[in-house]
Order: sequence, then structure tokens, then C-alpha cells
Amino acid sequence: MDKLLRDKKAIAFFVLPAGILFTLVLFLPILYALYISLCDWNALTSPVFIGFQNFVDLFTKDKIFKIALKNSIFFMVFSLITQQIAGLLLAVVLSNLKHGRNTYKNIFYLPCVLSSAALGLLFSFLLKPNMGLNQLLAVFGIEGKNWLMDVQGFIPLTMWVIGIVALWIYVGTTMMLYMAGIAGIDNTLFEAAHIDGANKRQTFFHVTLPLLKPMMKTTISLTCIGSLKFFDLVYNMTQGGPNNKTHTLATWLYFQGFSYFKYGYASAISVVLLIMSLAVTLIVNRTINTRDFAA
Amino acid sequence: MKRKLLSILIASAMVLPLLSACNVSTDDGTNKKTTKEQENVDDGGKDTDSGNAVNITWAFWDDLEASSDLMTQCYADTVDRFNETYKDKYHLNVVTTNLEEYDSKVNALVAAGQTPDILTCNPGPNADVYVESDTVQPLNQYLDADPEWKDSFAGGMFDRVTYGDDIYGIPTNFAAACCFYNTELFEKAGIDEVPATWEGFLEACEQLEKAGITPITNSASTAWCLSMIASYCMNRNGVDTDALNEGEMHWTDERCKQGAEDLKTLSQHFQPTFLGDSNDDATAHFYNEEAAMLVQGSWVIAQMNGNSDTIEDKCGVFSFPTHDGSVGDMIVKTDNLLLSATTENPEACIAFTKMMTDETAQKATAEIAGKIPVTTVDIDLEKAPKQLGYVMDLLENLEGTIGFYNESLASVEAGDVFDNNMVSIVMEDSTIDEGLQEVEDFYAENVWK
Repeated sequence: MDKLLRDKKAIAFFVLPAGILFTLVLFLPILYALYISLCDWNALTSPVFIGFQNFVDLFTKDKIFKIALKNSIFFMVFSLITQQIAGLLLAVVLSNLKHGRNTYKNIFYLPCVLSSAALGLLFSFLLKPNMGLNQLLAVFGIEGKNWLMDVQGFIPLTMWVIGIVALWIYVGTTMMLYMAGIAGIDNTLFEAAHIDGANKRQTFFHVTLPLLKPMMKTTISLTCIGSLKFFDLVYNMTQGGPNNKTHTLATWLYFQGFSYFKYGYASAISVVLLIMSLAVTLIVNRTINTRDFAA
Repeated sequence: MKRKLLSILIASAMVLPLLSACNVSTDDGTNKKTTKEQENVDDGGKDTDSGNAVNITWAFWDDLEASSDLMTQCYADTVDRFNETYKDKYHLNVVTTNLEEYDSKVNALVAAGQTPDILTCNPGPNADVYVESDTVQPLNQYLDADPEWKDSFAGGMFDRVTYGDDIYGIPTNFAAACCFYNTELFEKAGIDEVPATWEGFLEACEQLEKAGITPITNSASTAWCLSMIASYCMNRNGVDTDALNEGEMHWTDERCKQGAEDLKTLSQHFQPTFLGDSNDDATAHFYNEEAAMLVQGSWVIAQMNGNSDTIEDKCGVFSFPTHDGSVGDMIVKTDNLLLSATTENPEACIAFTKMMTDETAQKATAEIAGKIPVTTVDIDLEKAPKQLGYVMDLLENLEGTIGFYNESLASVEAGDVFDNNMVSIVMEDSTIDEGLQEVEDFYAENVWK
């Protein structure tokens, strides 16, 4: 096998199918989207090259794009903080459980395997003014809010609600990754810390957490990119409304393309989204140093 | 040698599944379902064994199998009748989706070069785009070839689907936006006559509230529902959509402001949950007799009667009131069938459109679904839902018609900008001036430039 892996032709032979597939379904569409973002195109007639006009319009004229950008960044920050904290806590607690670990693990991970579009619809019903949550609150004499139609404030209540639903759905993924990370830590390190007199808190901060840095890098990257691309929950819960106040970049892109036939403009939004995702990945890779702990 | 063989086998195993996705067909195109047609089954569309028949697809905005809407059930019957009549010759498959997703789905299919053979479309900006891009074809040749069919349509039915001299759509039913009211709840509130003026309308709302009855049910969550009332408020104050689209009138005009003011005033009488209620929720409030009035298109007759056994006998209809007590314009629309310009089976498509507009289908449209037929068919109003008779009475005294605002403004996006800003004004996220200025800015930037 070692000889085979030193053979460049053999490597190329094995890599080629994946390379062709990636080129066809990823790189070529990205390049095409880059070209279309420089065009005025309704998908029904030939594209007309207009240079950077779509990008100029995006940043100078489109108020909803700015709202969508703000909301996407909010989702990224909110998901990053809440999923990292909640996912890590759950992973630490469940890793230390002697009984029922798998049961709880499955319970917390269950929402991840369900369709987020279906969950979005489910929550849109649960959060209707006279159904679900508000009916429950009414039993205790509390008047529920209009959870999906409140747009007051810089970050409207509706965005926080969608963020919490997203946390409930995706925290299981972060938890599982951290649990895998914790399971990979050598037990002798914990034993050594125990012999040295470290309590549980000290062991967590000085042994577990530093050794989880590589996994942290992965989960942060996945959470950030996933949050920036956020579409299905928002689309199914609010469709970007009321009055476009809950759009994210992905939903605004969708409306521009599929409702208004502005595929060039939608492609420009997708390019911004791509650049943001790449920038976040780069920043995460540069800022979290794992060299000391990877071994 | 063994290793080389192994590596070739592994590589082949990786590549073959990819190739298997590329469906190389030797079919002559007449007797097998395409991938697109197969999708219909996944979408919950109506699809049965087609044998050797020519397959055609029709895009529609409701689930023919699951919907309780009586109009949809009539369409399902027509599809069955078509497939039975033309057994072994033509077979129709239906691409279905829900109403909210419909335009986006069809637009995506069109953009991907997979335009359904027949698509359902309202008149307005979406149809304009399909016509301008030659996505759909003119139907004059088919109508001219069958004068009896052409002459069966009521006068003016083709007006909003005619571009120049070319007719691009075959209407299947006609709808008008009216005020539906619950006669029992009106009686309970002591209201003897339906309001004819704006002032009378507001007084009736107050009287209903005093009797502990929710006056009007509406939905802001489904923006076009609120927009329908906004359109009437604008119209009753003299706003002209053509003048707005041409730049001869501005959204900051006093008449627009008064229209928005009227909408805001009326919204004080909506059910408390109207901001979060969907269109279906709002309609359910009416047929469950929790609210006294519903401003909706007459298509709602099929929906409310399909969901309630009691509402038909208690439901009256009146025109949206005017300030001076005149009859005023009525918002009207037709559902239309458009033919793809690239369909390989126009004869089959025309056969289906003829069946959708034949005597059987049009009588069912009126007598079962309570919708207004587009042909001059004789309908038995005794058999039809009572509400249909009331709507037809209103249409007889009609002064003029206008289109739905989201179909009459300059583009789909313009319609959405109007709808969204009306919601924003009503929920007090923006003032009337701010909301209308937003629409004005959109027009200045995108329509009048």
C-alpha cells in the first residue's frame, strides 16, 4: 500500500473521480455564478454584462440587503456563542455520565436528523398567536408575544426566536463533536491531573479544554459557515417577513432569484456570501492555534 | 498485477455510480415518463399509469389529492376525465405545490429550461415575464381553429391575457374580491342592513365590537390578504394603479396617504391575532363563526363551504364600501392556463384546456365550487352555493373593475414592496409617510427611471 501511495499516477487515478465531480458540481458553478454576478440576467434571456453594478447596488441602494447582512451576522455570532457553550457543556456532562449516556445523547441529537424545513413549519405553528406556546402561557395567566411578527429593535424578537430554535436543532451536532473530542483524550492525562490534586474544574480548564482546541476549531468553522448560509428555518418560519425584517442573505438571494427573476443580482449576493464564508474560515484557522495540542 | 486489478475495480466502483445517474435513453419520447414527470409523484401530484400515451405536465398551486378546496376537487375530476377520455392517447401529470411556493417553483422550472407544458398563471407581472421571454406561446391559432370554443367565453375574459393582438392565456374561472359577512352575527349585533358607505362600514364594526363580536378577520402574515383591503382603501380614495405605474401619480400623493390611513383605521377592527394569522387561519375564523366579516376573493367560497357545513346558509356578500355610497370598482381576476412555447404536444395541451373550459367543467366550477364560470354556460343557481348567486348579483351592478394590486403594479417585486409596506404601516413599524415613501423610492429607482 505504501508503494502504491508513493506512485503519483496511482494517486492521480484515485483523486481524479472526486476531482472531476468537485469541478463539475462545485468549481464550475462557482465560476459561473461569479460571471453571472457581473451580469443583468433574468435566466430567460441572454445575460448582459454590467461589470460591478450589481455589487454597487447591493452596498449603496439595497436596504434589505443590509438588513439581511445584519441578520446573517447576528445568526453567526448568536449560534457561535450559544452552540459552543451549550454543546460543550452537554458534551462534558454526558461524557461524565455513568448511566443513560447514549439515551441522552440520542435525545439531544435527534433534532439534527429531522428535516429543518419540517421543524421550521412545526415551530411556525407552535409560535402562532393563538396556538402552542401562547396557549401554554395563557394557562399561567401570561399573555404571549407575537413571536414571529415582532420587528421592534435593532435585533427583533423574531430573530432571537429563530436563533433559539436553531440552537435547539443544531446543538446536538456540536455536542457530538465535542464528545468525540473528549473520548479521544488519553485517560492517563486525567489520572495524572487527579494525582496532582486537580479538582474537576481545574481538570476541565487545564486538561480537557486545551486538548479540545482542534475540535473547537472544527465546530466553530462549521457553526459559522452553517449560520451564514442559514435558509430553511427562516424561510419556513417567516419567509423573511414582516416587511423583509427577518431576511438572511440566503433568503434574500432566493427571493431575488426565484421570485423576481434577478439572477444576476442574486448571484452577486451569493458571491458576498461565499467571500464571507471564506473569510470566516480563514479567520478561524488563523486565530485558533492548535499546533501545541494536536499531538 | 493483483494490486492494479484491485485499483481498477475500486476506481470503477467509484465512477460507475456517477455514470449511472446519466440516463441515456433510447426512448422515442412517447411512452416513458421523464425525470420531470417522475417528480410529480414525489410532489404529491396526480399521476397514474400512462401506458403508451403521450405525457404532458400541468403546474398547479394546490394538491389535487389532499386539498379540501372544492375547486381543486373539481380540477382533480377534470384531470381524471381527461386521462380517461384520452386513454392511450394523452396522459396529464400534475406538478403540484402550495400556493405560497407556486410562483417560485414555476420560475425555477422555467429558468432551468423545464417549463411544464401547461402552467396556471394569474394575469400580471409573472405572465408578462413569460410572454416577453417567449416562455409561453400565443394561442390565437388554436382559438381561431375552433370558433365555437372561442365564442363560448364570456365577453372581456381574454382582456388581461392579451398582449398586442395575441391571446396568451385560457381563463378557467373568474373571481371577485368581496366582503363576506355572517348574517347571524350581524343580527346579533343589531345591524339590519349591510353597510354601503365607508362611515357605515366603520359604524357596523363598532356595533359588532360592542356586541362582543370580532368585526373583521384578516391576515398580515400572508401579506397579500392585507394588501387586498389596502387596494380597496386606495381605490376608494381615487388611487389609479395605471397612473402610478406610468409615473403620472406618486405614492406620496394625498390620496395614497388617505388610503393608507383608512387601512390603518380599519385594522383596528381586525381580530387581535391578525398579525400572526395566515390566510387559512383568517378564513377559518370566518367559517368557524368567530368573526363577522371576511374580505376575500370569491375563490374562498369553495374553501369555506369545503370546511364548514353551516356557513353557506349564514353567509351574505356585499361590495367593499365607498365613501360616497356608490357601487365602486371591484377587484377581479381570472385563473389562466398558459402553454409552454417548447411543448412538444400542443394538441394534447389544447385538448386539456378545452376540457377545463367545457360545459361539464364550467358547470362544476359554478355549481360545486361556487366560482364564476368563464364561459356562457347555463348554470343552475339552485345547485350552486348560495354565495355565488350573491357575488353574481354584485357583478351585474358593477361600475368598473381593477386588478389585484400585487398583479397590477409594475412588477412582482413592486407588488411585494407595496404589500410589505402596508403590513409595516398597520403593525406600526413605520408611519404612513415612511411606508409610502419606501414604495415611492422603489418606484423612482426601479420603475420610473
